[in-house]
Amino acid sequence: MVRNNIRGGEARAGWLFTAPAVIIIGVFLVLPIFLAVFVSFSDWNGRGSPLGNAELIGTDNYAAVLTEEGLSQRDFGTAIRNNLYYVLGVVPLQTALALFLAVQVNRRILKGRGFFRTAFYFPSVTSSIAITTIFIFLFAGSGAVNGIISWFGVDGPNWFADPSGVGHKILGVFGVGAAGPLADGGMLGLSWYDWLSGPSVAMCVLIILAVFTTSGTFMLLFLAALQNVSQEVQEAAAIDGAGPFRTFFSVTLPLLKPTLFTVLTLGLIGTWQVFDQVYLAGGGDPGKTTLTPAYLAYQASFENLDWGEGTAISFLLFLIIVTFTLIQRWVLRDRDAGRSGLRREKRAVQRLRADAEAAKLGGNADAGRGIVR
Amino acid sequence: MRRKMLSVAALAGGAALVLAGCSGGGGGDSTETLTVLIGTSGDAETAAVTAAADAWSAESGVDVEVKVAANLTEELATGFAGDDPPDLFYMSWDQFQTYAGNGYLESYGDDLPNAGDFYPTFRDEYTFDGEFVCAPKDFSTLGLIINTDMWAEAGLTDADIPTDWESLTAAATALTTPEHVGLSFGQEYARIGVFMAQAGGSIVDGDEIVADSPENLEGLEYVKSLYDAGVLRFPAEIDAGWGGEALGAGKAAMVIEGPWIKGIEGDFPDTNYASYELPAGPGGPATFSFTNCWGIPEGSPTAEDTVSLVEFLTSDDQQVEFANAYGVLPSSEAAAQTYADSNAAIAGFVAGADYAVTPVAFDGAAAVTSEFNARLADFATADFASILADFQAQLEAAYADAQ
Amino acid sequence: MSVTQLPGRFRLTPRAMTGLLAGYLILILLALIYIYPFLIAVAGSFKTDADASQNPLSLLPQTWSFAAYERLFTDVPLLQWTGNSVLVTICITAGRVFFDSLAGYALSRLRFPGRNVIFASLIAIMAVPPVALLIPRFLVLKQFEMFDTYAGMIIPIMIDAAGIFIMKQFFESIPVSVEEAARIDGAGVFRTFWSIVLPMARPALITLFILSFQGSWNEFSYFLIARQDADLHTLTTGVATLTNGQLGQGNQFPLKLAAAVLMSIPVAVLFFIFQKRIMSTSEGAEKG
Repeated sequence: MVRNNIRGGEARAGWLFTAPAVIIIGVFLVLPIFLAVFVSFSDWNGRGSPLGNAELIGTDNYAAVLTEEGLSQRDFGTAIRNNLYYVLGVVPLQTALALFLAVQVNRRILKGRGFFRTAFYFPSVTSSIAITTIFIFLFAGSGAVNGIISWFGVDGPNWFADPSGVGHKILGVFGVGAAGPLADGGMLGLSWYDWLSGPSVAMCVLIILAVFTTSGTFMLLFLAALQNVSQEVQEAAAIDGAGPFRTFFSVTLPLLKPTLFTVLTLGLIGTWQVFDQVYLAGGGDPGKTTLTPAYLAYQASFENLDWGEGTAISFLLFLIIVTFTLIQRWVLRDRDAGRSGLRREKRAVQRLRADAEAAKLGGNADAGRGIVR
Repeated sequence: MRRKMLSVAALAGGAALVLAGCSGGGGGDSTETLTVLIGTSGDAETAAVTAAADAWSAESGVDVEVKVAANLTEELATGFAGDDPPDLFYMSWDQFQTYAGNGYLESYGDDLPNAGDFYPTFRDEYTFDGEFVCAPKDFSTLGLIINTDMWAEAGLTDADIPTDWESLTAAATALTTPEHVGLSFGQEYARIGVFMAQAGGSIVDGDEIVADSPENLEGLEYVKSLYDAGVLRFPAEIDAGWGGEALGAGKAAMVIEGPWIKGIEGDFPDTNYASYELPAGPGGPATFSFTNCWGIPEGSPTAEDTVSLVEFLTSDDQQVEFANAYGVLPSSEAAAQTYADSNAAIAGFVAGADYAVTPVAFDGAAAVTSEFNARLADFATADFASILADFQAQLEAAYADAQ
Repeated sequence: MSVTQLPGRFRLTPRAMTGLLAGYLILILLALIYIYPFLIAVAGSFKTDADASQNPLSLLPQTWSFAAYERLFTDVPLLQWTGNSVLVTICITAGRVFFDSLAGYALSRLRFPGRNVIFASLIAIMAVPPVALLIPRFLVLKQFEMFDTYAGMIIPIMIDAAGIFIMKQFFESIPVSVEEAARIDGAGVFRTFWSIVLPMARPALITLFILSFQGSWNEFSYFLIARQDADLHTLTTGVATLTNGQLGQGNQFPLKLAAAVLMSIPVAVLFFIFQKRIMSTSEGAEKG
């Protein structure tokens, strides 16, 4: 009897406790998605409520952005291309840097580990606006970065005002120019030559900014994973005569695969959403080379008053990002990293122990480790 | 236990209601206050507009609040989308067609008693679908502004003031030193376009787009020649935000700007400058005129009072006061003449009004223009022929859409 | 991580020693690169406009000038922005800590119909990227006439799916026996939650508090589209106008740097106080 009362109270409490969350998330996260989809299929012009003042016009907005030749398609292609280079620049760099920092900070013999961890993580704590403001100062034409570069006798570019693409510079070395063989064809309104432009110098600053602010967070993820790598495994590898590089690449790295995958996917999801920095750095300037889909959607809606197109771009961006998220979910769920990781570790330890026995019987295992008795 | 839950819920609900009640701006005041949103060129302009609004308030008894926008385009868009636009606002020439075309603006021009005072060109510019929509509040033309100290240093005299492209090149070359560049202006259609016009080119001819023409190409090539010779640098390349800053900070000896250049006196009081007409090109003299109008939202409940405010603000006396305060030229012919007569410094700008053209501005042209500006960004390697071809195609598409 | 002693005495070969030194040098160099921008920003905020433009690298101003900070408090409505940021951050953080733990507890401990559906939707919602929702949220705010109000800035982000997830995971790690005992004693659900379970959840609550505070203090894009009145500027949107808007005419670097420095102080203070906790629990918090 007492149990029944408790059970009934439980159900009521359960609904009541989750009600605020359900309401707020439902209204302000789920509803917007549906409203946006509706507006993207309509011709709403920005006055009054979209539900009353707009007519459905089918896929015209999506066509304008994806298939019809014109400025909208070209802008969308430019935004996708820019964001693609941003992703290709940021994700590998931030992953490699975070991993490198984590490995270095994790070393047993290191003193001052706390200081280093703090130093590398601190940029992640500050707001994107503050950091971008500081970077605009550092990378000004006659700013700090160009000052440091000038010590090496090189004239730094006018970072934020330089729209020339890195890819174009490389292509130029091979004699492929704007009017060359790649000038025709292409997709989304850009020629193949345009697609191969690489990130512009200004975009490179944003890439550096992203790596600066996010490598600390991912370093912590890697640190946690490294600390889970059993001490035994590293010992076994060391006894076997493996130097630090060998240990890292053949033993540690495979065990870090799940975390590596998480970091890569989080990086992918994050880089496709870049907005704040683009807004502050000039909204696509110079020459639309820092334009990204997120900012393009904002610009189309709030500046060109083309809400249908803006929401269509938002929804396309949503699809891109959700695809990556789903891939991450699927791969991680199947892998069941925890259990299979431990299995692999056990097998590795057994193998190394066997090797160690064999080595002891014939050979000097210590010399490979730099140890002198 | 249940009491606690209820009280918590009540507290949360109450807090939500209170917060919902605290609206940040323009809620529903019982006494009417007109909100005026402006984009300012500096403290002088803000002060002048506020003073004028207060003067009208005293006369009419209606309160006016002048707000300065950090980003006028954005704030107007969100204002309209939030169904809470300001009662009166600056409507810029490049956005006018978009706003009018989307039905955002109240057509009050024909109701103004002083509608006949404005320059006919500006009245036409702000006519949409046969209706005179909004009153032009001022106009500006582009002129050549020269740093007189640097001019004297280079040993140049009045005879060397550029009147055509050759003399412009010569002057810019003489004025280029390792410390400052001879000429600078914005890397955009709104500046480079004057050279296209001076070469005899235009963008719209009646109902046809004629952007892709040899004259326009000639204008672009001339600018390129200045750039290649190293006597022209764009503001971003010399660490300046715009031409006026380049002039004031001493980074450029000549700039192409409008009468709003007066605004740099606050930040750069030591820079001495003089303004002249732009040099003529092979196709004759040409410059751009920019105007803004006073926009009233369509269906605004305060329209009657606001129109009366506009009438006050566009009266000849008030326009001359604005002109004296922050340098824009009055949009009514009589006022402009009064101002020009008393003010030799801006004679160059006013003279330009005779042959000024308005930059292209139909609904959708703004996006095409910013694409044009984007293509010009990589100036050293820009392919002008293909840029003009694309400009033509995109303008044609936008024009077709706008009909 | 335990430090195991190697058997026997040993010293490192010169090669290993140089390797170690090289590692140290690289780390120190990198740490300097990470810290230097902030040092330059602080130094730059005390310079004059001309000094900042001409000597951007130096850490000591030629002439110490407080002009930037003066302007920041007189010309620029920094205090108003700060007030807004404080109000918004407190409300959002309090809301998140309270409602997230409430919902997390319900999802982990209470049995009620629809619980699995809600949890599954939660996982799905965590996949939705916030940036793609910028314009859609603006439309909803407009629809409910919450645009340009404090309520519109606070309520929609007052509860976040990731926070609920964190709390749920934590509650599941608390032994059920304590609650069972309280329930059988006659305590109601809310009383059990409030007086018994919640105090035990302090580590997770602190984590949630830190994440929420940081997230709402640094939030920019949402406040950009949720408001347009200048009176509602938070520090983030306000400082953005220093670079982008009318106030940003001219290279007034010391002013912008001073603003950037000041707005980072609260999160930096929070960071240094809770350093150990932030750096040891953020690994668990990143669940995609």
